[in-house]
Amino acid sequence: MPALTPQNTACGVAHARRSPATAVLGALPAALWGALSVTPNALSASDSALQALAVWALQFTPRVAIAEAAVLLEVAASLRLFGGQAALRERLWPGAQELGATALAWAPNALAALALARAGVEDGLRAPLATLLDPLPLGVLSALRPHGQTLSHIGCRTLGDVRRLPRGGLARRFDAALLRALDQAYGHAPQTHTWVTLPERFEARLELPHRVDDASALVFGARRLLLQLSAWLAARQQGTTAFTLHWAHDAMRSRGAGEGGQLTVRTAEPTRAVDHLSRLLAEHLARVTLAAPVGDLRLTADEVRALPQRSESWLPDATAGQEPLAHVLERLSVRLGENRVLRPLLCADHRPEHAGCWQPVGEPLPPGARGVPPPAWPQPALLLAQPLRLLVRQHRPLYQGELQLLLGPQRVEGGWWDRDESSGHTRHAVRDYWVARSAQAGLLWVFQTRLADEPAWYLHGMFA
Amino acid sequence: MQPMFHRPEASEAPAVPVSEASAAAPAGLAALPPAVAAAVWRGDALGRSVGTTWPSGFDALDAVLPGGGWPGGALTELLLPQAGTLEFRLAGPLLGRIVAGGGRVVLVGPPQPPHAPGLLPHGIGIDALVWVRADTAAERLWATEQLLKAGSCGAVLAWLPQARPEQLRRLQVHAAASAAPALLCRPAVAARESSAAPLRLLAHAGPGWQLQVDVLKRKGPPLAQTLNLSAPPAGLPAVWPARLAEVGRPVSVVPSEAGHAVVRVETIEHRRTTPFH
Repeated sequence: MPALTPQNTACGVAHARRSPATAVLGALPAALWGALSVTPNALSASDSALQALAVWALQFTPRVAIAEAAVLLEVAASLRLFGGQAALRERLWPGAQELGATALAWAPNALAALALARAGVEDGLRAPLATLLDPLPLGVLSALRPHGQTLSHIGCRTLGDVRRLPRGGLARRFDAALLRALDQAYGHAPQTHTWVTLPERFEARLELPHRVDDASALVFGARRLLLQLSAWLAARQQGTTAFTLHWAHDAMRSRGAGEGGQLTVRTAEPTRAVDHLSRLLAEHLARVTLAAPVGDLRLTADEVRALPQRSESWLPDATAGQEPLAHVLERLSVRLGENRVLRPLLCADHRPEHAGCWQPVGEPLPPGARGVPPPAWPQPALLLAQPLRLLVRQHRPLYQGELQLLLGPQRVEGGWWDRDESSGHTRHAVRDYWVARSAQAGLLWVFQTRLADEPAWYLHGMFA
Repeated sequence: MQPMFHRPEASEAPAVPVSEASAAAPAGLAALPPAVAAAVWRGDALGRSVGTTWPSGFDALDAVLPGGGWPGGALTELLLPQAGTLEFRLAGPLLGRIVAGGGRVVLVGPPQPPHAPGLLPHGIGIDALVWVRADTAAERLWATEQLLKAGSCGAVLAWLPQARPEQLRRLQVHAAASAAPALLCRPAVAARESSAAPLRLLAHAGPGWQLQVDVLKRKGPPLAQTLNLSAPPAGLPAVWPARLAEVGRPVSVVPSEAGHAVVRVETIEHRRTTPFH
C-alpha cells in the first residue's frame, strides 16, 4: 500500500474504539472514513484524475489522502457542518460520480473503508467491523494480494480465514506487511497518511475520451473541470471572476489549424456555482468555431477573489429555488451582446437625448452618477433614437392626424460646446418642447426648433 | 377519496338559482384540499387569485380583477392598438410599487428606447431598471423565457407582437413558477387569437387623460362594460395648470396667428363590436 505506508507526515490515528452500540445510537464516531474508489486501470484511475478527485474532496474536509485507485477522506469533524452523514453523502456522492468514482464506503478506519469500497459494501458502521470484514475476499487488501495463491492453497478464502491463523506462524511464513495491514484494517494498529494539499494556482487538465469537432460539445468535458474548479474555490473560500478554457487540437490536425485555442470567461461577481459557470461557458462556446478536432482540455483560474459565505436564515427564504437576477442578466448579455443588456444612467445635460444614457448592466456606475438631480419638467417614458420630422399643415404638426398641443412650451437650449469632430457641426439644441395629444398615438412629446432657418416640428418621445 | 369537483345533487342542492348558490359558500369546496379549493371558482363568480396580487393603482380596475389587482406568477396581456402608446400610464403604478418593494423591472424589446428620466416619476429609479435590447422576435421570446424561468426579477414588461399561442403557453408555465407579474404588450389584433394568459386587457386612449380598458378574459364572467380610468402620465399633474386637469375639455394653446384657437376632439369610440371569447 504505497500511499498508506508510514511517512514523515502528519499522523492520522484511526481506531475503531467505539462499541457497536454507539453506532446504532448514532453518536458521533471518533473517526469516520469515506473511501471513493475508481475502477482500476480506467482512465479515471490515472494519477491526475485521482489528484483531481482528491482536490475536489478537499471541500468537505482537510484530511484527504490518495490510496491506490481510491481517495480516502476523514469526515468525522465535518459531519456537523454538513448536517449529518446522510446530508454529507448526498452532496459527496453525485459530484464524485461525475469525477469518475465508482464506489463509496464508510468505515471507522481508512483501510477498512477502502476494503469495503472494493467489495461494494457501502455502510461499514451498521455492524461490528470484524463481522463486516471477515467475509470479504482476500483481494480487497493490497497487502494480501502477493500471497493470494499461497493462502488459497491452505484453504483461506476470506479475511476471516486469514485472521484465524496463528499470528506467530503467519508472521514467520508471510511478510510483516500482511499482518500489519490486517491489524490496521481491523482497527488494532494506527495508520499514517500523506494528506493532499491544495495547489496554490488552479490548473486542471482533461484528455477527452474521443475527439470533439463542435465547440459547443466541449461543455460536457469542461463541466468536469469546472466541478474541480468549484471545489478548489470552495476549499479556499473564494470565487472566480475570470477563468480560461484552453483546448489543444488533435495531433492529426491540418497544418494551418495551429496548436489550439483558448477562451476567457469573465463574470461580474465572484462565483463558484458550477451550473452558472457552465451555462456561461456554453453561451461563449456557442460562438466559437474550432479549426480542428480537439483532444485535450485545460482549465485555469485567472482571477479569484474572496467570497464570504452568508449566514443561513431561520426564516423561510422567499427567493429559494430562484436563479439570481445578476446571473440571468449575465447570461443574456453573453448571448445578445454586452451592449444590449443595459442599465440607465442619468447625466447632467438639458438635452433629453443626452440626459439619459445607458451602460452595460454588469459595469459599476461611474462616480457621481447618483448625484444627478431628476428633471423638473415631465419627460416621456420612451424617447425616439432620432427625432422624427413631422409634416406641418396650417402651422400645425401632424402625426397620425392633427396634434393637439396641451402643455408648453418648455424651452431647452444647450450643447453649443459639444462639437462633432467628424462632421464639424456642434450638437447645439435650441428647442421648444410641447406635450401633445394624438387621437391614435396617445400623448407625445414634440418640439419646434427655434432660430433655425426654417422652424420645423419634430416628434421626440411618447409618454406611453 | 374526495371527488375533485363538486357536483350538486338533488338531495343537497334543491332547485337553487345559480346566483344564490354562488353567493353562499359552495359546500363542496370545503372538502377539497386548500390548495385546490383556492384554484376552483364558479363560472358566474369572480375567481380568487391563487398567487400574490399587486394593486393596480386604479380602484375601478382592482374591483373587476380576480384577487383585486395584477396577478403575480401569471402572464397578463396588454392589448394595445399601437405599441408604445399607453403601457406605462396603465402599468406605471404597478411598476413603481414593485420597485418600492425592492424588485427590479426588466423591459424586453420596447418599441422605442426607454427614457430613464421619464421613468423616474413612476418611481422606477436607475438602479431598478434594466433594458434588454432584443430586436428579433426569437431573441425577445428567449430573453423573456429566461427571465421568467429564473423568477428573480420584480416584474417583466415584454413587447411580443409576434408570439404564437403555443409560445405564450410555454411562457405561462414558466411564469407560474415565480411570484412576479409578467406583462406582455401585444397588438390589439391579437385579441382574436387564443391565449394562455389568465388575464387579457384591451386598452385604448380615451378622451382627455382617460384610458378605456376592456377586460377580455379573466377568472370569472366576462365583463360587459368598458372601464374609464383617469391616467395622466406620471409627473405631469405636478406641473400642469389647473385647466389641464379638467378631463375631456382640452384647451388649445397653439401659438398661432390665425383664428383656429379651439380644437374640438371627437369622442373616440373604440368599443369592439364582437366579443372575443
